[in-house]
Amino acid sequence: MFNKELFSLSVLTISILCILVILLVYLILRKELDIRKSEKVENYIKKYNPLLFLMLTEGVYSRKLRPKTTLQKKAIEELLSRYIKVIEVTEEKERLSELASMYLTEYYRKRLKSLKWSTRMNTLYHIEDFNMISFLEDVYSLTKKKRLSHEERVHAMRILALFQFKQILQLLTTNYKHLAEYDYRHILLRLNKHQFDQFILYFHKAELPLQKAILEVISIKRELIYLPFIENITSSYSGEIKLRALKAVAQIGYVKNINPYLNLLYSAKWEERLVAAKLVGSLKEEKAMPRLIELLHDQAWWVRSQAGQSISQFANGQDVLRTVLETSKDAFAKDMAWEWLHKGV
Amino acid sequence: MPFFQWGDIVTAFALFIAVYMVIVILFYTIILVISMIQLRKEYQLDRVQVYEDYMEEIYTKPVSIIVPAYNEEAGIIHSVRSLLSVNYPAFEVIVVNDGSTDHTLQKIKDHYDMKEIKKVVRRQINTKPIGKIYQSAIFANLFLIDKENGGKADALNVGLNFSHYPYFCSLDGDSVLEQDAFLKVMKPIIDSNEEVIASGGSVRIANGCQIRNGRIQKIGLSDKPLVVMQIIEYLRAFLMGRIGLSRHNLLLIISGAFGVFSKNWVIAAGGYRTDTVGEDMELVVRMHRLLKEKGQKKKIVYVPDPVCWTEVPEDMTFLRRQRRRWHRGLFESLWIHKKITFNPKYGSIGLLAFPYFWIIEFFGPIIELTGYIFMLLCLFLGGIYIEFAILLFLLSCLYGSIFSMAAVLLEEWSLTRYPKVSDIIKLFLYSLTETIWYRPLTVLWRCEGVWQMLKGDKSWGEMKRKGVSE
Repeated sequence: MFNKELFSLSVLTISILCILVILLVYLILRKELDIRKSEKVENYIKKYNPLLFLMLTEGVYSRKLRPKTTLQKKAIEELLSRYIKVIEVTEEKERLSELASMYLTEYYRKRLKSLKWSTRMNTLYHIEDFNMISFLEDVYSLTKKKRLSHEERVHAMRILALFQFKQILQLLTTNYKHLAEYDYRHILLRLNKHQFDQFILYFHKAELPLQKAILEVISIKRELIYLPFIENITSSYSGEIKLRALKAVAQIGYVKNINPYLNLLYSAKWEERLVAAKLVGSLKEEKAMPRLIELLHDQAWWVRSQAGQSISQFANGQDVLRTVLETSKDAFAKDMAWEWLHKGV
Repeated sequence: MPFFQWGDIVTAFALFIAVYMVIVILFYTIILVISMIQLRKEYQLDRVQVYEDYMEEIYTKPVSIIVPAYNEEAGIIHSVRSLLSVNYPAFEVIVVNDGSTDHTLQKIKDHYDMKEIKKVVRRQINTKPIGKIYQSAIFANLFLIDKENGGKADALNVGLNFSHYPYFCSLDGDSVLEQDAFLKVMKPIIDSNEEVIASGGSVRIANGCQIRNGRIQKIGLSDKPLVVMQIIEYLRAFLMGRIGLSRHNLLLIISGAFGVFSKNWVIAAGGYRTDTVGEDMELVVRMHRLLKEKGQKKKIVYVPDPVCWTEVPEDMTFLRRQRRRWHRGLFESLWIHKKITFNPKYGSIGLLAFPYFWIIEFFGPIIELTGYIFMLLCLFLGGIYIEFAILLFLLSCLYGSIFSMAAVLLEEWSLTRYPKVSDIIKLFLYSLTETIWYRPLTVLWRCEGVWQMLKGDKSWGEMKRKGVSE
C-alpha cells in the first residue's frame, strides 16, 4: 500500500547517489588537472628562469623566450613576481617592467575584461607590482565604468596614483569623493611630492576623510617641509582634524616655537594633553618638565603613561622619575614613575 | 487496543521527525548556497599578493597575542617560537602562566632569558591576583605573566589587562599558526575601517601533518578513522556553516583556538566570563548583544583563509569529554542570554541565529537520540516497514555525505590544502560511513553532556584545557 512512497523514496535515493558520484568525479578530475597544470608551469619556470635572469641583470634579450600558451605566460608571471620582491636596483626594476609589458600586455588586456572578479583583481595587482605604465589608459577607462566593485575602483585609483596620473586630484574629489580614509591613505601614499602638494592646496575644500588621510600621510612621511602647513592647521581647525595635525607635528618631532604647544599641556581634552606631552618629550623641552611631572597624575591613564615616557626621554629623566617615586604622595604617579624606571628593554 | 495506540504514536513521531528533518535540511542547503556563492566569487584570487600590501602598511593594527598556559611544559616553547616568527609587522606575545604545577614557567624563563620588569597593569577587568611580570631579554615583544590559577578565561582577562595594543588574539597553547594567518585575519578589520570588531579564521586538524619547529612542513590526512571524521566535521563547520552565517552577521562562534578581537569592545562587554566552559562563544554572543543594545552597526566576521592548525583527540575518551564539554558550553552561552531568543529587538540574531543554535545545534542531538531509540523500539514492537527503514537509512547516509562532499568542494575552491587525489577519495569514503558510527556516537556524547548538566555534575567543568596534544 505504500508502493508509491517507496518508489519516490527510491528515486530520491538514486538521484542523491548520482549527485554524489558526479561531485566525486568532478573533484577528482579537477585535482588531477590542477596537479598536472602546476607541474607544467613548474617545468616552464625551470626552463625560463636562467634566460629571464640574464635579461634582468645583463639586459641581454633572448629569442628563445617566447611564451605563447597561457601556462607559459603564467610561468613568466610567476617568475617576475618572484624577482620583483628581491631586486633593488632601479635599472633592473625598469627592465622587469619592460619584460612584463613585452610578454604579458596582451594577456593582461584580455584578463582585465574577464567575467571573473578574482581574475580582474589579480591582474590589477600584477599591473601594479610590475609597474606596467603602458596600462595607464586601460586603468583610467576602468574607473569610468559604471558597474565596478568597490575593490576594483580603489585599486584602479591606487594604480593611477602610482603612475602619477595628472587628473588624480580631480578624480578623487568628484567621482571618488566618498571613499574611506583608509582607501585615500593607500592612494595618497603612492603619490610623488609634486602630486601630493596639489592635495595640500586643496585641503581646506576636501571632505573629512580625505583631510584625515592627508594628515596621516604627512605623519607617515615625516617631512619637515609640511610643518608650516600642519602648524597652520593646528591653529585654524578644531576637534578631530586639529588632533590629527597635532599628532603629525609630534611625529615630525620639531617645531620653531614651542609656546602654543605648552598651553596644550593644560588642554581640557585628554587627547590634546597626550599629543602635547608626546611632542615636548621628543623635543626634550625643559620648560615643559614641571607640567610633565604634574601630568604623571593626570586622570587619563594614557596621558600618565605618555608623561612617564616623555620624562624618561630627557637626559635627567631617570633622576626626575626617581624623585617622583620617592617624594610623591600620589599612588598613580608613583606607579607610573616606577614603571618607566623599570621599563626593561 | 494498546497496539492501535502505539501505531498512533508511531505516525505522530514519524511526522515530527520528518518535519524536523526538512527544516534542518532546508537550513543547511541555504547556508551551503550562500557559502558557495561567496567562495566562488573569490575563487583563485591570488591571496598572497593581496596580503602583501598590508605588510608594508605602517598602519596595520598591532596585535597582542595572548597565550594562556596551564601545564604546557611540553609544547609551550614550540608554540612561542612559532608565534614569534609570524609574518606581521607589529605584535607582542603575552604568555599567561595560569598557576601551572609543572615547569612551564621555568622553561620559558630559561629558554627566552626572561627578566623581571615592573609594570603597572591597568585593571580593566577583575581577575585573580597576578604575580611577577617578565620580559624576554632576547625578544622585546615577548612577555610572561605569572598568576594564581583561575582558569583559561581568567588567564585571558589578565592578558587583556596587560596588553598594549588595540587588538588581541587568543590562542591555545598547542596550536600552530600559518605564517600569514595574522595578516589575513586582520584584513577585514583594516578593510572595513574598524567596522569589523572581531574576526575569526579557520581551524584545521594537525593530526597527520608533519610539524617541525612550530611550522607545518607537510599536510596529510591521518590514518585514524576518528581523526578523518573530525576533519570532515571541521570542514563542514567552518567552510559551510561559518561562511554562511558570517555573510549575514549571524556568527555566534569565533573559535577559541583562533580569533582576533578589538580590545575596546571586549572590555566594554566585560571580558571573558570565568564561570562557563564555553567562554569563547559566550563572549561573542555578549558582544553581539552589546552591539544591538547600543544600536551599533559593527560586524563580527569569519575569514576562511587564515588557518590555525590544532591537534584533536585521537581516542574516544578525550573526544567524548570534549564533546560533552562543548555541548554544555553551547547550552550555557544560550541560557545566559536566553532573552535574546525570538526577541525582535535583537534583529536577525534573535530571530535567526538563536533559534538555529537552540533548535538545530542544541536540541538536534536530543531529537536524534530519541529517533534512534524510537527506531529500535519499532523493530521490537512493530510499526514500521522494513523497506521504509532501509531506504530512509540509505537516504540519511547519502544526504549526510552530500554536505560533507560539498564541504570538500568548497575546500578545493578556496584553500586547497590537501594535495593528493587519494585524499579526496579517502574523505569521500569516510563520509559515507559517518551515519553508521560517528554520528550516533557524537549524538550520544552530546546528550550525555545534557544529562550531566541536568544532574548538576560539574566534575569535568574544571577541565580548562583540551587534553589533546603531546
